[in-house]
Amino acid sequence: MFFHIVLERNMQLHPRYFGRNLRENLVSKLMKDVEGTCSGRHGFVVAVTGIENIGKGIIRDGTGFVTFPVKYQCVVFRPFKGEILEAVVTMVNKMGFFAEAGPVQIFVSNHLIPDDMEFQSGDMPNYTTSDGSVKIQKDSEVRLKIIGTRVDATEIFCIGTIKDDFLGVINDPTTV
Amino acid sequence: MSVVTDSPVHSSGSDDFAAYLNEALDENSSSSSSDEEAEGKNEFEDVSRNKRRKFESTEETEGSTSEGIVKHELVFAESSVKVDVCTHPGSFGDMCICCGQKLDEESGVTFGYIHKGLRLHDEEISRLRNTDMKKFLYSKKLYLVLDLDHTLLNTTILSHLSPEESHLRNETDSLEDVSQGSLFKLEHMNMMTKLRPFVRTFLKEASEMFEMYIYTMGDRPYALEMAKLLDPQGKYFNAKVISRDDGTQKHQKGLDIVFGQESAVLILDDTEHAWMNHKSNLILMERYHFFASSCRQFGFNCKSLAETKSDENEIDGALAKILEVLKQIHSTFFDKLEGDLVDRDVRQVLSSLRGEILSECVIIFSRINHDALPTLQRVAQKMGATCLTELDPTVTHVVATDAGTEKSRWAVREKKFLVHPRWIEAANYFWQKQPEENFGLKKTTNNS
Ligand SMILES: [Mg+2]
Ligand SMILES: [Zn+2]
Repeated sequence: MFFHIVLERNMQLHPRYFGRNLRENLVSKLMKDVEGTCSGRHGFVVAVTGIENIGKGIIRDGTGFVTFPVKYQCVVFRPFKGEILEAVVTMVNKMGFFAEAGPVQIFVSNHLIPDDMEFQSGDMPNYTTSDGSVKIQKDSEVRLKIIGTRVDATEIFCIGTIKDDFLGVINDPTTV
Repeated sequence: MSVVTDSPVHSSGSDDFAAYLNEALDENSSSSSSDEEAEGKNEFEDVSRNKRRKFESTEETEGSTSEGIVKHELVFAESSVKVDVCTHPGSFGDMCICCGQKLDEESGVTFGYIHKGLRLHDEEISRLRNTDMKKFLYSKKLYLVLDLDHTLLNTTILSHLSPEESHLRNETDSLEDVSQGSLFKLEHMNMMTKLRPFVRTFLKEASEMFEMYIYTMGDRPYALEMAKLLDPQGKYFNAKVISRDDGTQKHQKGLDIVFGQESAVLILDDTEHAWMNHKSNLILMERYHFFASSCRQFGFNCKSLAETKSDENEIDGALAKILEVLKQIHSTFFDKLEGDLVDRDVRQVLSSLRGEILSECVIIFSRINHDALPTLQRVAQKMGATCLTELDPTVTHVVATDAGTEKSRWAVREKKFLVHPRWIEAANYFWQKQPEENFGLKKTTNNS
């Protein structure tokens, strides 16, 4: 799920950035620092959308660095257990398949693929129903349900399943 | 725990949804979610129930809009799947691949070459190995594990190019379309790589008979770089590139991380001792030394192929010869062996084909270095030769390095073949008895 939330961060700035462009410098450093990072609580920071408030800076003794408390708005993405996600398949093999939804890497093991889908090896490994009507291969878009999540500093791992009603392929790349 | 400082102020107008988000964020960041639920139940169910209960309690205290309920039901529509107690057959990102539960202990074999963070337990590996085996064999395929260095290609550090090889720096092929080239400079790795002649045809034809893996003692970045040169479209080795970073034993290669039954796996490698536990799957390759640094590394003082501006023959070089052998093994396995496919063993095919190479030869060795003799004998016997220690009329070949020895002279007198030990090595590499006249000994004047 995406959330638009307000977060706070203490930004340390070198004195050379002070002056007329202080605010701009702070904002661009903030974007560089937080966009694309993850935290276990909020998930993946997709984009900083605005600054709420920049507090008074505190000068550090000795270095001249100044720490500013910055409150900013941002869009975060965080998957939850039980959430339904749409993802693109990146790799298919005997163990199951891997898929990505933005920064989230999802593994769907063959235990959690419907029993009527069988693995086919070859140039383009895939899972196919016995009548051939449904096929999951690299670049397929699938709808899956998250049953486990783990958020690292830069990555989010999920375990997914398509063994349930209304889950599975939503777009077959070969038919486009 | 609370997320008040970072409350999602802009996400929704309704207070109860904001409250729900707080709940959900709390719920997911604390791992101990189910405390009073009965044990033995699937964790996922417990968490969801718990969530619903908490949600209901917020409803009671704060009231709710119908919209809030709908959203909630959509997101947490209860799973109807009942999972039995999970055996946790493997993990991805330290979560069970079956039930999603966080697993504490790091156990099982890591399959970093497929995806970092993927681990599987032995039972799951053998389950995967055995499922689909029948179907796989009915599609007339076997597994082939390929070594990189000296088998499919030769690589040198740029600074190790000899002065006579420096002309190569200007002769490398474009990295734009690697499918056409065979000599590549990989500036960022300080390396130059020469693909072995015939390798592209080899891979194309072998891929029709085998599911192929790369298995190298190089590290992962190198292995992936080489795979890109050999297989630019990712048709052959997609997620099947194993490097030393993946092995479970130091300085050894093992089939334990390959998803094929050992009875259906062939290995192509120039280094026998890397496969101590799988010698019967191994087809030993003649080493490909294109660069001088490679020759020196193996103690050869001769000029390198690059220095003499030559190369292995494309049409009947080592890879072309081995491709023929692979075809023969493949057709023997599928067309000649009897019995159920699943019960057949490619290792038997390998050893029986090998046993035919010198099956009509009776060999006697004459003054061969004591260090080399046992290996030569073993190799000759594996190829079906009979090795004698005493002269005998049945002897067909005398193997010697010196034409002047007593046995050598006996061979000439009795019109037996007199050959250099390389005759045995060549037969071993090419899986064929070689013409004896190519391995004759120079006459020495020294009669002993
Ligand atoms: Mg090698
Ligand atoms: Zn489990």
